[in-house]
Amino acid sequence: MMWKEKYSIGVETIDEQHKELFKNLGEFIKLVQNKEIKWEDRLNKAKETLEFLQGYVIFHFEDEEKYQESINYPDLEIHREAHKNFKAGIHEYVEIFAEGGFTEDKMQEFSAKLMTWLIMHVGKMDQKIGEYVRSKGAEE
Amino acid sequence: MKAEHVNSFYVAAQDVFKLMLDLDVKRGELSLVNGLAPSKDANIMLGIVGDLEGAVSFSFPKEMALEMVKIMAGMEMDNIDVFVSSALGEVANIIGGNAITNLSNYDIKCDITPPQIIIGKHKSISIVSENVLVIPMNTDIGMFDMSIFL
Repeated sequence: MMWKEKYSIGVETIDEQHKELFKNLGEFIKLVQNKEIKWEDRLNKAKETLEFLQGYVIFHFEDEEKYQESINYPDLEIHREAHKNFKAGIHEYVEIFAEGGFTEDKMQEFSAKLMTWLIMHVGKMDQKIGEYVRSKGAEE
Repeated sequence: MKAEHVNSFYVAAQDVFKLMLDLDVKRGELSLVNGLAPSKDANIMLGIVGDLEGAVSFSFPKEMALEMVKIMAGMEMDNIDVFVSSALGEVANIIGGNAITNLSNYDIKCDITPPQIIIGKHKSISIVSENVLVIPMNTDIGMFDMSIFL
């Protein structure tokens, strides 16, 4: 289980999407790390999970940005930039996979990096959304 | 090497360990050695370029490296494979990035180069020969070295 309660920001839809992201990434890592089964036999499922994750990250980032707009989040542009960099990091690997094939080593490398990026993004950057929402709540 | 330079890396390591691993980091006795050599089972080196030039390395014993990745992934790791070494490389990269941000508060502009991961102790590989500051870092799951050469 990758999700930790401290990642919660207190906004239900965003927390649910984060949980979904961590859950699917956890499954992706478990699959990539399951060396008892030959890589060829895990490859299709790994590709499928990867594709889902990629799509879900984009969906979630868009949704999160819409939410930030709706609450007049002051650091929206900084956050948008972080999302852009995150997506560029993923895209870099999509190109590596397209050129060099889906090797087990590259998939391990990618899933490890994705894990650290997600922990940092949700654990640090997204926490500020929660702080802002709570500060607004306290004002009203 | 000024105290504020070293401190920027120390504080970054503390922050990132707390955030990503829920671990407190306390530094032990500092020492000066010759050569930035991979001293433990998993070693990550980052180059520093810009106003400051040099390198920083993080050396982890195997058990600690596996435990760190277990904390993040929520699953057991049994050896230092590409997944584990890439995760450690990225943690080091994030510490380096935070350190660069901390240094910018002192008007020092620099950048880090992508992490070089060296698995296994290779005392013969020495990146630099001048004085390297070794900072032993204690955590609840083990001790690692952060070595800085600037």
